[in-house]
Amino acid sequence: MKKTILAAALALTLPAMAQTRTPIGHLMDNSGPTSDVGVPYGQGVADTMAWANANNRGRPTNVLGFDYGYQAPRAVSQYQAWSRDRVAAIQGWGTVDTEALVRFVTRDRIPFVSGSYSAALTDAGGRSGRQGVEAAPYNFFYGPSYSDALRAMLLWARDDWRARGQAGAPRYVHMGANHPYPNSPKEAGETLARELGFEVLPAIQFALTPGDYTAQCLTLRSGGAHYAYLGNTAGSNISVLRACQTAGVQVQFLGNVWGMDENAMKAAGIAANGVVFPVRSLAVWGQQAPGMANVQAISRISDAAGTAYRPVHYIAGVCAAMLMVEAMESAGENGGALSGERIRNGFYARQNWVPRGFDGVCAPSNFTATDHRGTLAVPLYRARVAGDTATGSVAELVAAGTIRLEPVTTITLDRRADWLGW
Amino acid sequence: MALAPAGEFHASYRADMTIMPTRNARRALLLGIVLLCFAPLVLGRYELGLLINIGFMGIAALGLNILVGFTGQISIGHAAFFGVGAFLSAYLHERFHIPVILCIPLAGLGTALVGLVFGLPAARLKGLYLAIATLAAQFILEDFFARAQWFTGGVSGRMTEAVELFGFRFDREESYFYVVLAFTIIMFVMAANLMRTRDGRALIAVRDHYLSAEVMGINLAYYRTLSFAISSFYAGIAGALYAHYLFFVSVEAFNILFSIQFLAMVIIGGLGSVMGSLMGAAFMVLMPEGVQAAADMLAGGWIDRTLKLGASISFLREMAIGAAIIIFLVFEPDGLAHRWKQIKAYWKLYPFSH
Repeated sequence: MKKTILAAALALTLPAMAQTRTPIGHLMDNSGPTSDVGVPYGQGVADTMAWANANNRGRPTNVLGFDYGYQAPRAVSQYQAWSRDRVAAIQGWGTVDTEALVRFVTRDRIPFVSGSYSAALTDAGGRSGRQGVEAAPYNFFYGPSYSDALRAMLLWARDDWRARGQAGAPRYVHMGANHPYPNSPKEAGETLARELGFEVLPAIQFALTPGDYTAQCLTLRSGGAHYAYLGNTAGSNISVLRACQTAGVQVQFLGNVWGMDENAMKAAGIAANGVVFPVRSLAVWGQQAPGMANVQAISRISDAAGTAYRPVHYIAGVCAAMLMVEAMESAGENGGALSGERIRNGFYARQNWVPRGFDGVCAPSNFTATDHRGTLAVPLYRARVAGDTATGSVAELVAAGTIRLEPVTTITLDRRADWLGW
Repeated sequence: MALAPAGEFHASYRADMTIMPTRNARRALLLGIVLLCFAPLVLGRYELGLLINIGFMGIAALGLNILVGFTGQISIGHAAFFGVGAFLSAYLHERFHIPVILCIPLAGLGTALVGLVFGLPAARLKGLYLAIATLAAQFILEDFFARAQWFTGGVSGRMTEAVELFGFRFDREESYFYVVLAFTIIMFVMAANLMRTRDGRALIAVRDHYLSAEVMGINLAYYRTLSFAISSFYAGIAGALYAHYLFFVSVEAFNILFSIQFLAMVIIGGLGSVMGSLMGAAFMVLMPEGVQAAADMLAGGWIDRTLKLGASISFLREMAIGAAIIIFLVFEPDGLAHRWKQIKAYWKLYPFSH
């Protein structure tokens, strides 16, 4: 029934081109616990795919969006419907569903660009030999893995500790829900922290949904933590930040890549001030860069007035979608068929790959058949909140300088073989 | 006898207890099943997927109906038992290499045992207190799923294998449909027969008036716990069918909302009706799909633009489910099964009703 309605709607809107368009699946979380960051990322992906179609970038696609509410079983059943509809590639989202689908996309040869940056997805050749990590030759993502981003923040934290002239060993604690996404970099982070001379405290749990996390903050204080990693997405992290501010806990928070953005800074207000977190793009909204004009054009797809403020996740979505667009472009060169293998090989076609027209926005990526760690350079930013954020939109607050993303440093990790898939 | 007489004229207990009152009803049922057997030839995979969903959801709803509709107990932990069946079947196959087709009934039996344990409070509690006790079962099991790495794969979930029989893999909708159809028929016939036995009548007696039942010599504690075990058996079978359909089981699926959904199926379908369970399941599976299709059509349309729905259009689906349940409770409190009976009566008496 649904298919016929969709088909009818398509037939009405795209009379001639409907046959030649390649179907692409797009899994989004617009209503689940990670929708706070899932909405801007998903919008970025959707707008970019529409923009690419309108500007003849890559191959004409028909993007099939599906909001799975961050429920892995729903994503898996949707995947099965798509795989039978012969989608050429999929833009995905969460860690549980992406990891659950690894075996399926490998079997069906469907390139899968996830919003999950779990390091387990980077072991394309299955060479790491780590327990529970299997070869993921069709999984890609744009940006540093969760583990690598955390490693970079720990390296920064060690330098920060020294620079502040503090004595003794700093104490590090991992915070997050008992869920594959926050758990993904836990072991990697704690191991490196020990190597770097941190004292590692027992991990603190808090749910993916907003709530009262005063108890967690008191644990943080009684443990005497200096650096705390926030493994969840922005919504629940805000709750922790606010609770800790109220409780008067002084800790340097390290947000993960989905843990902080401009919307979260407005919501958390002054409590978000000082949080250090990785940003995946080379420029954020409002900054000048050669590729920014294209990002603004993409933004106007869903915001004709051109007034919307696009948080960091939107731009990450643009870059992730552009990687897929160009990989499909490579696959289709010389009249090639858009098979899964050819699209996957499209990801290997370029070195220091920045999508055409996105210079200064998308960070260069390098994928090889055995190593899907696209980038090891981690730009760290600090959230700066000066004053009251309760009134005014994010755009106004940024324009007024109340909310600011302050570049801290860029940490480039070594491509260590023992860190592959971990 | 082809048509039913206009009244009750049964001359024997056998005639009184029959499931199929007329030959035509039996023929219609057989015809329906035969027609369903041809469904994979005509229907697309999406439609077959919905039918498969209706099948295993119907089995689980039937289990809950035996507990709630026939025995008058309450459970808001049905999804957890459904989960036990799903994980157990996957575990049995992976750990002991038992063929999947045997794992499914074994998972049912295992779940029945788990249900027996969590049903023990039912021997002593009733009403709201029992509801809270089963709520506890839901949370205990859910937490167990999230932590028992060896059994469930922890929060990451567990992969499952396809049903395989004599080298043929039932890994597509077209083939798996027959597995679910077979189980659905067996389970529904079993339930319909159960209600004709002494034990079945005892369950109904417990529901209708527990004190009278006890006076008549029915062991209340025994039948209440038995009802829990039977209900869990059905949930376990349904869960196992779900697991080998999706090839992936994760703790996230078996939350309390899912339990409430089962309750909604039973209420919408009709409490104390075997057929109603299937109707309720069909309704609850098809309605969100219908709403989703409507939302897809709305997206980008003038209603979307005027109301500025945008991203919130995806919430429409969740809201419509809630609204449908309320509307049903108000206008159709006896469920779809009751409405179906009325429709049948209308045609039977047409044009001379009254």
